[in-house]
Amino acid sequence: MTDDTRTPAVRLESISKRFGDVVANDDIDLSVEQGTVHALVGENGSGKTTLMSVLYGLYDQDSGTISIDGEQRTFDSPRDAMDAGVGMIHQHFQLVEPMTVMQNIVLGHEPTENGLVNASAARGEVEEICSRYGFEVDQHLDTPVRDLDLGVRQRVEIVKSLYRGADILILDEPTAVLTPQEVNRLLDVMEDLTAAGRSLIFITHKLGEALAVADGITVLRDGEAVGTVNAAETSEQELARMMVDQEILSDRRSRETESGDPVLEVDGLRVRGNRGLEQVRGIDITVRESEILGIAGVQGNGQSELVGALAGGRSPESGTVQFRGEDITGMNRRRRIEAGIAYIPEDRQTQGLVQDYDLVHNALLGNQTISPYASRGFLDWGAVRDHAEGIVRDYDVQPPNPSAKAGSLSGGNQQKFIVGREIEHDPDVMIASHPTRGVDIGSIESIHDRLVALRDEGLAIVVVSSKLDEIQQLSDRIAVMYEGEFIDTVDPTNVTEEELGLLMAGRDPDAEDETAEPSGAQA
Amino acid sequence: MSDAGSSRDSGLLDRIAARLLDASVLERLAIAIASTGLALLIGLVIVAAAGYDAIQFLGYVLEGSFGDSSAISRTLKFTTLFILTGVAVAIAFRAGIFNIGVQGQFVVGGFTTVISILWLAPMVPEGTVGGIILLLFGFLAAAVAGGAYAAFPGALKAYTNTNEIITTIMLNFIAIGAVGWLVEGPFRGEGQAAANTERIPEYVSLPQIVYDVPDFSIVGLAVALVVAILISVVLVRTSFGYDIVTSGYQESAAAYAGVDAKRMIVVTMTISGMVAGIAGAIFAIMIQGYYSNPGGIATYGYDAIAVSLLAANNPIGAIPAGLLFGGLDSATSYIGLSSNIPPELIDGIVGLVVLFVAAPELFRMAARRTGLGGDDR
Amino acid sequence: MSMAGYARQNRLRVGGGVALVALVVLLTLLLDLPVDDLLTIGFVERSFQAAAPIALAAIGGLYAEKSGVFNIGLEGFMIFGAVNAAAVMSIVGGSSPGQIDLWIAIFGSALTTLVYAIPFAVLMIRYKADQIVAGLAVWFLGLGFGPFTAVIIWGSTNSPGLTSVDDLTVPVLSDIPVLGPILFDSSPLVLLTLILAVAAWAVLFHTRYGYWLQAAGENPEALDTAGVSVNRVRYAAVIFSGVMAGLGGAVLLAQAGSFTGTGQTMVGGRGWIGIVAYLFGNYNPIGAAAAALLFGGLDMLQIQFQTAGIEVPNRLVNLFPYVIVIAVLTVWGSTRVPSAVGESYESEE
Repeated sequence: MTDDTRTPAVRLESISKRFGDVVANDDIDLSVEQGTVHALVGENGSGKTTLMSVLYGLYDQDSGTISIDGEQRTFDSPRDAMDAGVGMIHQHFQLVEPMTVMQNIVLGHEPTENGLVNASAARGEVEEICSRYGFEVDQHLDTPVRDLDLGVRQRVEIVKSLYRGADILILDEPTAVLTPQEVNRLLDVMEDLTAAGRSLIFITHKLGEALAVADGITVLRDGEAVGTVNAAETSEQELARMMVDQEILSDRRSRETESGDPVLEVDGLRVRGNRGLEQVRGIDITVRESEILGIAGVQGNGQSELVGALAGGRSPESGTVQFRGEDITGMNRRRRIEAGIAYIPEDRQTQGLVQDYDLVHNALLGNQTISPYASRGFLDWGAVRDHAEGIVRDYDVQPPNPSAKAGSLSGGNQQKFIVGREIEHDPDVMIASHPTRGVDIGSIESIHDRLVALRDEGLAIVVVSSKLDEIQQLSDRIAVMYEGEFIDTVDPTNVTEEELGLLMAGRDPDAEDETAEPSGAQA
Repeated sequence: MSDAGSSRDSGLLDRIAARLLDASVLERLAIAIASTGLALLIGLVIVAAAGYDAIQFLGYVLEGSFGDSSAISRTLKFTTLFILTGVAVAIAFRAGIFNIGVQGQFVVGGFTTVISILWLAPMVPEGTVGGIILLLFGFLAAAVAGGAYAAFPGALKAYTNTNEIITTIMLNFIAIGAVGWLVEGPFRGEGQAAANTERIPEYVSLPQIVYDVPDFSIVGLAVALVVAILISVVLVRTSFGYDIVTSGYQESAAAYAGVDAKRMIVVTMTISGMVAGIAGAIFAIMIQGYYSNPGGIATYGYDAIAVSLLAANNPIGAIPAGLLFGGLDSATSYIGLSSNIPPELIDGIVGLVVLFVAAPELFRMAARRTGLGGDDR
Repeated sequence: MSMAGYARQNRLRVGGGVALVALVVLLTLLLDLPVDDLLTIGFVERSFQAAAPIALAAIGGLYAEKSGVFNIGLEGFMIFGAVNAAAVMSIVGGSSPGQIDLWIAIFGSALTTLVYAIPFAVLMIRYKADQIVAGLAVWFLGLGFGPFTAVIIWGSTNSPGLTSVDDLTVPVLSDIPVLGPILFDSSPLVLLTLILAVAAWAVLFHTRYGYWLQAAGENPEALDTAGVSVNRVRYAAVIFSGVMAGLGGAVLLAQAGSFTGTGQTMVGGRGWIGIVAYLFGNYNPIGAAAAALLFGGLDMLQIQFQTAGIEVPNRLVNLFPYVIVIAVLTVWGSTRVPSAVGESYESEE
């Protein structure tokens, strides 16, 4: 493959893209040969999705060029990219759920006869594609998409792109929502596609899959391309090392205090997600005073639902949550706030702050029934304002203007404000869900410093994150969550990044066989 | 402590000033004025197009609303009702709930006032003392009835996710029909040829101060103002009010902050209905004195939606907005009597006001083009 | 999905439906209702006629909402449709208009509603108006300018008697037992409504425009990347909804024969009922028409009771439709609303 002098199907040169003060892509080169699968790997936030969004026309790059089949192109919109033969299979499928598979595939390009859609012509064309590439989507042509499981839906998306003439297909984390069997199916499909001459870009953080199907692999880290390797010449360990090697942030903070009494005890927790499926499948946790428990894992393995059950937004199916010995399983959110459970929410924009409120009003969010901000139902706005000013001052919120609307602050500053507000609760336990997602480096440092200081003062903290370095630096114990259970619990002082990465990807490095087997560990 | 107090006071004034000059408040005020102005302008154009004298029309509007003492008392009478119904709507809209049922809650409240006063009257001494007792009882009954009538669609929305716009509108029709039937039949006053209830006793009335007209009392207006201020205080200065307003902005943030969404919906609707009920009580006691076919009552409850929207769903804003609509309504009756211009035009203008308030983007874009508007936030 | 599967997923709805039917049967037995006298051919005929305006508005509203724009101003458009039809009839036909004048009036009214619907659509889509408030505004506009127009033309909020549509008898077809007299020996507007309902169904589910409409309301991004302008689709849908509601008002007028502008005007809530009809009909034009028929029947029940000699207070029977609406909404209310309703769509990044 490397001797080939054919023009690459896709060539990205020096692509840079920033959003505000966050640099998402920094001078990235990427080259995909015709008829190959090229994997793009990296952690959450490494810039993979942004880079591909530039390629498929959603964003304009700040600098750099895109060449398709040797020809330089500019894409003003996804439609332009589609016309050039670049199709994107999104992580969140762009399918119209109540409509049938057939209707979805031909959407926008329906063959018509006398004004009515020519169903048989459409069917013929789709079946032709399916047989050419070996899909069996054609048996579902008349089923509404909402009745199909995710693996089938994904293949519908792929057929849709092919129907529209895509030569280059970008698959964005396609296996994130698939079962192992569906993953294998997909990998087979990918091989069939390349055999038929299509070029694929496969975005993933799952190293095993990348190695299994890709020809070339490019590793991104923090917006930069760390390196490009041949799949045949590398290993998971090497890839993992390239992905997480981190020199910017400081070393692990040393631990000064011992863990104290248990504060939060969770037993056999099972929680359902929004679709009715069980997302948390029997979790046991004990969090003690002066301790940070880190829950690592790729998003979508039940962390959101677990956090919801701990903080009070979701009721568990079964199991108990105990707070300082008291059963709070059924306690609603307000009473948990009043009891001293602080919560840095996963989604700062919709949950943690009211975007249209200024910081003073946001300082009250969650505190509105607690003294000194409220007594006997009446609010003391003076105290609230002081509180807001204090948070802004002590947590370095920029710009330091409590009358600014929350929506005008950058992500990092919004997060610092939320962290400050929750810490000033003087809580007994803190649950921090992805506390530094989308936050600039400086703010990350300051938030981490705070959490560690709190731990040293005696607080029990649970941190949920998909950032390996964050988990490693902060945690006293790490539990890795995979498919609703704790696959393993490890000691951060003697676990390697690669081991963590593998655990997060579902592979237990201690297990003898290849398949992932959660050990049903207790944390 | 006094030092802190006085610096707090000047701080308070500063804050009020800052609030008023706050870009978003200014913007809302500007939009309200622009909407009304544009609507009136279009109204004048239509009047002229229909062949009437537009300037004369404008003159009638001003004369009919503020021209003389009787016009003013008429305006204030309507203003009282608009402030109350406007506040009722504002409470719900602020919480993100579209209570379109204020008209029905108003009717139910007013009717309940009359029959409960009639029921209690024989058991209470005549004269001023009895009058006050009956007054208070009547108001209480109205609040309870209005609140209950609103709590029902609120509960439907909270627990079965039923669209409150449609349920409240249907309940409006039902209230008017049911009360109309009750007034025609079981509750018809003795020997009444028309479908009316009995009159409530003479001594049950609001005192005539300043204006000596049978259908308006300053006390009524005072009640309206007090309610508006009270609700405003609740919204701005209590935990409960914070819960309501936050629910209206971002439900997910409210949930994060501990608000029980279902309970919030029902309680908010109930309070909204209670205020609407009190408006009905004032209507019954101050203006009408008995209850008759509610189909003939003006559409205070619907116009209240326009009042509230114009006031950006702020109870204090409902006061000037209520005054504006009070003036318009007063002008309507004057125009109907003194000219041949169809007073229905004013209802149309109300519609235009609401339309423009619905699309503030229209004004923002215009402001940007002409360089008037500042940045958003 | 199988019947059992459907039933399992919609326990509340199916249960509610069964309960309602049981209640009706029970009442019929308990009150010894003379069912024969009630369910006459005439009653069914009148029900169809009463259903037509509601069905037209419902079909229009359904198109709008399916495309992602909630048009709750149907009532306002209906009022305009009614008064404009009466106005055109008066203008064209003078004090005693004939059938031709009536049909011209219907057509003219539809054109005028089209002119009203265009700026409304622009406000909704380009200026991202708050859909609920804008819909209410149209209602208020109807309540105001409807009677205003009436007064300008006739000097009163009610028009003088004009003319109502004559029955149309279709040879051969009208001899079919039961269906014949109902559909083919009755108001041609009923036939028109039925044809429109079927056509609307065909367009929505069998043409590309229908597909695009559905996509615009469920996943506008999917439609955009498929190369179709989401906003153009929505404009068409909103304008169509206004015109249909206006047509519904015109049909109402044509059947009644004169315009009543007092109180809630002769439209009296039918626009709102239209919304419930299409929710009940699950966003399917034929289902919406069937639901409209149900409400039409309830509307005519009052007359029927009188004819059958049953003594029920008129005013209370008139409330039946509204009560049933609430009951229906509560049980069926959470039907699938199109996912992207209420969200304005920006295709550029």
